[in-house]
Amino acid sequence: MAACLGISAAARAADGARVFHKQIQPMLVQYCGDCHLDGMKKGNVSLDDFKTDRDALTNKDLWAMVLKNVRGNIMPPPKKEQPTAAERERLVQWIKFDVFGIDPRNIDPGRVTVRRLNRVEYRNTIRDLTGVDFDTDSEFPPDDTGYGFDDIGEVLNLSPMLLEKYLDAANRIVAQAVPAQSRVMPEKILPGRAFHATNAPGSEAWGNLSLSYYDPALVVNSFHAEHAGHYQVAVDLTANERYVEDQFDANKCRLIVRIDGKEVGRYEYGRESGQPFHYDYAQDWTAGDHQVALEIEPLTHEKQIRSLTLRLVSATIHGPADAQYWVEPPNYRRFFPKIVPADAAARHIYAREILGDFASKAFRRPADAETVERLTALAENRAQEPGATFEAGISHAFVAILASPRFLYRQEHAASTQATPFIDEYSLASRLSYFLWSTMPDAELMSLAAAGKLRAGLDNQVQRMLADPKAAALAKNFTGQWLQARDIDIVAVDPRTILSSQEKKDPHAEEMRAQFREFAAKDHLTAEEKEKFNKLREGFRKTFGRFNLQFDYDLRTAMRQEVELYFSHIVHEDRSVLDFLQSDYTFLNERLARHYGLTNLNVTGSQMRLVKLPADSPRGGVLTMGGVLAVTSNPTRTSPVKRGLFVLDNILGNPPPPAPPNIPALEDIEKGAHDHDLTLRETLAIHREKPVCASCHNHMDPLGLAMENFNALGMWREHDHGEPIDCTGTLLSGESFQSPRELKQILVANHHLEFYRTLTEKLLTYALGRGLEPQDTETVDQIVDQMEKANGRFSALLGGVIHSIPFQKTRQSPLLGGPETAMTKEKS
Amino acid sequence: MNKHSTSQDRPSERAAAFSRRHFLRGLGACLALPAFESLQPLKALGALAPAGKLAATATGAPLRTAFIFFPNGAVPDAWWPEKTGADFAFSPTLQGLEDMRSHVQVMGELDHLCALPGADGGGDHARGNAVYLTGVRIKKSASDVHAGVSIDQVMARQVGHLTRLPSLELSCDNDHKSSACDSNYACAYQYNLSWSSPTSPVTPESNPRLAFERMFGVGKPGERWANTQRIEAEQRSILDFVLDDAHRLNRQLAARDRDKLDQYLTGVREIETRIQNAGRFGPAKDPDMATPSGVPTSYGEYVQLMYDLMWLAFQTDSTRLATFCLAHDGDNRSFGEIGIFEGHHDLSHHQNKPERVKKVQEIDAWYVKQFAKFLKKMEATKDIDGNSLLHNSMIVYGAGNADGNRHTHNNLPIVLAGAGGGTLRPGRYIKQNSQPMTNLFLSLADRMSLTGLERFGDSTGRLKDV
Repeated sequence: MAACLGISAAARAADGARVFHKQIQPMLVQYCGDCHLDGMKKGNVSLDDFKTDRDALTNKDLWAMVLKNVRGNIMPPPKKEQPTAAERERLVQWIKFDVFGIDPRNIDPGRVTVRRLNRVEYRNTIRDLTGVDFDTDSEFPPDDTGYGFDDIGEVLNLSPMLLEKYLDAANRIVAQAVPAQSRVMPEKILPGRAFHATNAPGSEAWGNLSLSYYDPALVVNSFHAEHAGHYQVAVDLTANERYVEDQFDANKCRLIVRIDGKEVGRYEYGRESGQPFHYDYAQDWTAGDHQVALEIEPLTHEKQIRSLTLRLVSATIHGPADAQYWVEPPNYRRFFPKIVPADAAARHIYAREILGDFASKAFRRPADAETVERLTALAENRAQEPGATFEAGISHAFVAILASPRFLYRQEHAASTQATPFIDEYSLASRLSYFLWSTMPDAELMSLAAAGKLRAGLDNQVQRMLADPKAAALAKNFTGQWLQARDIDIVAVDPRTILSSQEKKDPHAEEMRAQFREFAAKDHLTAEEKEKFNKLREGFRKTFGRFNLQFDYDLRTAMRQEVELYFSHIVHEDRSVLDFLQSDYTFLNERLARHYGLTNLNVTGSQMRLVKLPADSPRGGVLTMGGVLAVTSNPTRTSPVKRGLFVLDNILGNPPPPAPPNIPALEDIEKGAHDHDLTLRETLAIHREKPVCASCHNHMDPLGLAMENFNALGMWREHDHGEPIDCTGTLLSGESFQSPRELKQILVANHHLEFYRTLTEKLLTYALGRGLEPQDTETVDQIVDQMEKANGRFSALLGGVIHSIPFQKTRQSPLLGGPETAMTKEKS
Repeated sequence: MNKHSTSQDRPSERAAAFSRRHFLRGLGACLALPAFESLQPLKALGALAPAGKLAATATGAPLRTAFIFFPNGAVPDAWWPEKTGADFAFSPTLQGLEDMRSHVQVMGELDHLCALPGADGGGDHARGNAVYLTGVRIKKSASDVHAGVSIDQVMARQVGHLTRLPSLELSCDNDHKSSACDSNYACAYQYNLSWSSPTSPVTPESNPRLAFERMFGVGKPGERWANTQRIEAEQRSILDFVLDDAHRLNRQLAARDRDKLDQYLTGVREIETRIQNAGRFGPAKDPDMATPSGVPTSYGEYVQLMYDLMWLAFQTDSTRLATFCLAHDGDNRSFGEIGIFEGHHDLSHHQNKPERVKKVQEIDAWYVKQFAKFLKKMEATKDIDGNSLLHNSMIVYGAGNADGNRHTHNNLPIVLAGAGGGTLRPGRYIKQNSQPMTNLFLSLADRMSLTGLERFGDSTGRLKDV
């Protein structure tokens, strides 16, 4: 077999060399020779620097770059003689089939390194498996990313520290989810919002109740005790503040807790920064109604700065204590469907059932009998310890399941022992489910996989999955990374500097700012300096009052949701993916509409909704969404370079090579031109005069400068530093534009194939959890063809990815699992 | 709307501006009472070790080593002192160290030439980070990560068994950007300083609460040791099962996948060792202070809180090795608290515009001041031999880029603080004549009494004068 492969590979190489000499080289001489042959190496690219044919044919990186540039109409440059479509196609075919060695009838599916669940997947999987929302963002370190995504097997490492956290998490999750007894003391939670100024028993409200430090308040709720007995009342609250940079709030308040009119607790709070507080009160109650009341007394009348609040989470009534009134714990049936048998043998069978079922769900494939037996032994040993119960034993085995590598890693099995077999149905169920839902497969997927019917009914399942609310995970996690929407929450922006710098520079203000920084840097200020410092600060507050825009949580959330909802809309309505580039609609709420200056569309309230844009609106499409514009800016100004790079990276799929290591001495050229402060556009123009910068910046800058009408907050502007914005430009592929709208039109009209390809590459990378390799070019091309035929419909893209060979199959390696490995097969 | 929360639905920990004040209330009490029994290094170990022992001073006290990293280099002109030797004059950037003058050596002319582009092209920030403690050329790849074992982990292999935690890794990079990282280098390079193997970065802890709990246990003061014992018992009881499970899974996997599972197996073994060793140390220290409850909103408070944790770790002899990445190289944070609203990285390419250079220098100085505060605490704390904690420490403070504007990697801005238990000669500015940074690492390793370490990374020898 191996020898056979060797011969055909050698034969193919000889063939490839022949085509290279006969067909490709003449083309290179005609169209590329001026710059890239005979010692010319413009942009450091030489197309004849090969010692042997083998050298030429094995330099995949070089030809991959040629492929991108030829397909993107970047090379040959627009002003030079252009190859015919047929010639281009010949070059493309040669690169794909002879250099990359792709056999279109037998595409290599590639190999996905076993993937550890990332933070998002772990959280969602635990939620579906146990019902617990475990806050992985706070508990686990951020996952490393590769190729722009956080689900890439190769880069998802597991440090000893993280393993320890997994063990700890397993314990905590099981303790929270799984009852350790069959009967427990009854517990009734009265949520904060169920408390009212007057007694309103039976309120259905849930959530926390915010009580201001500054206003007196009295809230009450009551509880009906069925039986007389010993009860315990627990009150949970947090003391919070809304953060204001560098300013503090010294106010205090008092809380008085009364039960049935009798004071049981009295507490004071200052600035507690989100600390939780928990109080318990023991009560001997008669049967009947009992009232819990909380009263707030403001203690100070300082200036109100930070908005201090007490947040009443809940009052929880435990009782009666007498065991005869105890009840089955909530959630009990989820894990223990039956009554625990008294008989030891029956109990053993029951334990095996429970553990087999839970382990199979957690491992996302049937747990083998031996594993189940070992888990059962673990449970039984624990249950025999003094004071332990059957349920405690099962819980203990659950912990082991959640700590197992088979839960933490997504191992995949081959369906057969061929060289490039299909992955088995359970693996397929997981791939689908983690791709579309970022979580474990549900019962329906698992039962189809068990019956071997998933692959056959794939399209129906994809439809069902997309219609499920869990599919929001695709929008959130894919756009969160492809369009960097996740970064909207954390991007550093300084609205005041951004807004004030749109006006002419004020030298006086600059001076004041410099002085302010000088004082701020000092550890100790004299009384005189302190006074000056405070004056400066006060002055800023006044001048900046005009620019009082908060880039706060609400605005950031609206921006992020705009991206996510837009994506979901295209998915659910099966629209053309070209809507990502340009459309006449977007998603807004009142806040975001105001931010965009779209105040006449009658968008009110905080709910995001689909909005049709005015005909002359520059919005529509992801490039002009506030969030995307903000995350591609610097904290105080736009960055045309970052924005241009973003388009090349994520829309056109032709990222320039990384910046040269030693940043050239830009300042030297600039010194000559210092009769005035250079605008950003001028600075970049000087930049592009340097040959080493030009090759990439000619590519990036026009795309970024086209968006200059949008400031670093994503708001429309006409001026920068008092000068009118010039956003005209010419792309490297030759087209000129006057406005962002025109640029978008050009992208749709002339570059949609590049966009299809880029989006396909991104989605395939995310779906597979591995970086794409040259061998995947044919798969991507096939999907792009399907999209082109389907007018860019999203379903063509998604179907293409899911039915693709890399998604459906795997490359057998000697030890890939399955009932029988290739290795053992060979030996036999 | 989507109800399935992911990283975007920031929970309570985000807005926790609280923590530092509560935390420091506790710390203040400790500071006021240097002899506070429960925070003295363990008596069990504290029976002074004979000289020449691993990670110990001549007086037998614990010897600690820490490596601190700050981002984007420093403005060279403003960093370097005037004269070499003992009567050097601090530069503007290092001015904040004036009080600590007799405890620091400003180290000139140390290089990390492996961070130079070579044939790899752009990516000086990724390299700045990953080369800082490894001193090797890192593989340029977005997924096939390959660096080297970092010096702190080399030390941890030999001295780690002496303390409850072999090493402590901290960082203030709690939010990672979602896009690809510097110049097609895997993100693992830029977010990790410590590497336990060339392919396994040691993820730093960026949540102060978790770092505290890792050292002292979960829960309220007084309950933590009992909690730790309970958790360890739970862990121990399932380790056999998961280990066996991992071995069985391993047999079904391909080579590439096995590398991943090996990380799991290594983790299990480390936990086993830790639990086994726990008996030797007796109860962990249980500082009488509230556990910090999350990430402070203000960067300054965040940084100080992490420094406090390092200080606490050394004070309680919970570990003798720490690394702290203040922010990864290329970090673009702004510094509103000192009136600088531009991004740090954006500013660092200042094009020699005086206004921008000045701002970068002010940021450099801000970082130095934070460091100085930490040193002052270390100096104010008495160790078991009567010397200060700082005296019995070796603390490297520096960056992976020298001039952030030009991405140079020679003459790195490095300060070595502490007296190494009397084996270092602080209180001067010394030029090392263009030696590899790794030579400094070897000199520190010698003082930790490491054996068998002839070379490290691109080292060419030991520093003669340190």
